[in-house]
Amino acid sequence: MVKKGLMLAFVGMLALSVSACGKGASGDVYKIATDANYAPMESMDKDKIVGFDVDFLDAVMKQAGLKYKLTNTGWDPMQEYVKKGDYDAGVSSVSITDERKQSYDFSLPYFESTNMILVKEGSDIKSALDLKGKKVAVQSSTTADTLMTEIMGTGNTDLKKYESNTLAFLELDKGGVDAAVADIAIVKEYAKNNPTKKFVLVEDKENFGAEFYGILYPKNSELKAKLDPAIQAIIENGKYAEIYKKWFGEEPNTAVLTGAK
Amino acid sequence: MFEDFRFDIILDYVPLVLKGALLTVGLSAASILLGSILGLGIGFGKMSRHWYLRWPAVCYVNFFRGTPLYVQILMVHFGLIYFLLGTTNSIIAAITALSLNSAAYSAEIYRAGIQSIDKGQTEAALSLGLTGRQTMRHIILPQAVKRMIPAFGNEFITLVKDSSLIAIIAAPEIMYWSNAMRSQYMRIWEPYLTASLVYFILTYSLNKLLLYIERKV
Repeated sequence: MVKKGLMLAFVGMLALSVSACGKGASGDVYKIATDANYAPMESMDKDKIVGFDVDFLDAVMKQAGLKYKLTNTGWDPMQEYVKKGDYDAGVSSVSITDERKQSYDFSLPYFESTNMILVKEGSDIKSALDLKGKKVAVQSSTTADTLMTEIMGTGNTDLKKYESNTLAFLELDKGGVDAAVADIAIVKEYAKNNPTKKFVLVEDKENFGAEFYGILYPKNSELKAKLDPAIQAIIENGKYAEIYKKWFGEEPNTAVLTGAK
Repeated sequence: MFEDFRFDIILDYVPLVLKGALLTVGLSAASILLGSILGLGIGFGKMSRHWYLRWPAVCYVNFFRGTPLYVQILMVHFGLIYFLLGTTNSIIAAITALSLNSAAYSAEIYRAGIQSIDKGQTEAALSLGLTGRQTMRHIILPQAVKRMIPAFGNEFITLVKDSSLIAIIAAPEIMYWSNAMRSQYMRIWEPYLTASLVYFILTYSLNKLLLYIERKV
């Protein structure tokens, strides 16, 4: 009897959580979700969302002539909102992978994510292949996570996945791992901000395959057809390069993007 | 929420989640044990007549009950354990943080249990010629322990679920593998509900065990 009661309570809880997710209408203003927790791509500046993705989205929506509202929903809710169509899209440095394509549609790739290895001075790690058998820290759900999981294997506990790069880098600093892998812009920024810690940056374009970010849509989204030409247009007319330079201080390699689709 | 539920990705992760469950059980058991022992000392410290025993115990309980466990885990992992070992270790840090935290709650359970026994009993025992120590051991504690068990049951079950927080320092327990599944497929319900079910099975079994002990004592 007690067992049955408990099971009923559990099922009841689930039912409640199901009825709690209602559907929102999008109307004329497109609802876009983000997780503003990944500087310099998207982060909070006081109460404003800023970053490369924010400027990129603005340029794309202007190019397409569409109104939109960008909301910081957080990472988990963004997935659920977009999957159910409560939000029309998610823009949050989301890597395009085959596993994710099973549940979502993606825009054309709009950003090439190059990963870099961060080690301490004197480390014998010279390439991505040297990372096998070593302890490595990454931020969970990033391209570094995807790449390193591929290299080291899904169940490998030597690959430590943290909720943020801040924690992954701290773990490297404290000696809990031999290396950290993250997006090049983030690694460079961290090394620059911590000059006394004697970090060494290791690049390995050969073994780190190219990873691309895309706008996240619900399955069979109509928005994809409207925004893909706009993405192409801003890459061709130089607007994309302008935004890229503003955030990263260098010219983007747009040939890679157009070749990636 | 369930219209396109993917049992196939859960199946893929079952071995890892089960491995994680083993670690959760181990971590929780160690922390329950260490926390209860440390908590006993702190509980008596709080009841001590001497200010130099009482004061540190009061501070300890206030600190560990008054600050987020999340922050305590980070402080133990990157601070205390790094300071002691010269490197980090997520498993040792997890057991340490959970034990220290649980000790604060356990201390209060011990104190409440002991102080709930009527003062008249102590007076009666002392007037019959028992020493203070004998009174505590033979008269007060046997009764107090019985009253503490349900409160400890609460505390232990909370501890098992709180252990999910140690995924932040990448200890490969249940929530860690559930997060890996979540990140790979960008779906939230399959990993979170799988983790919830495993935690439910663990806490439900623990509850049964505690009820059994309660009946025996």
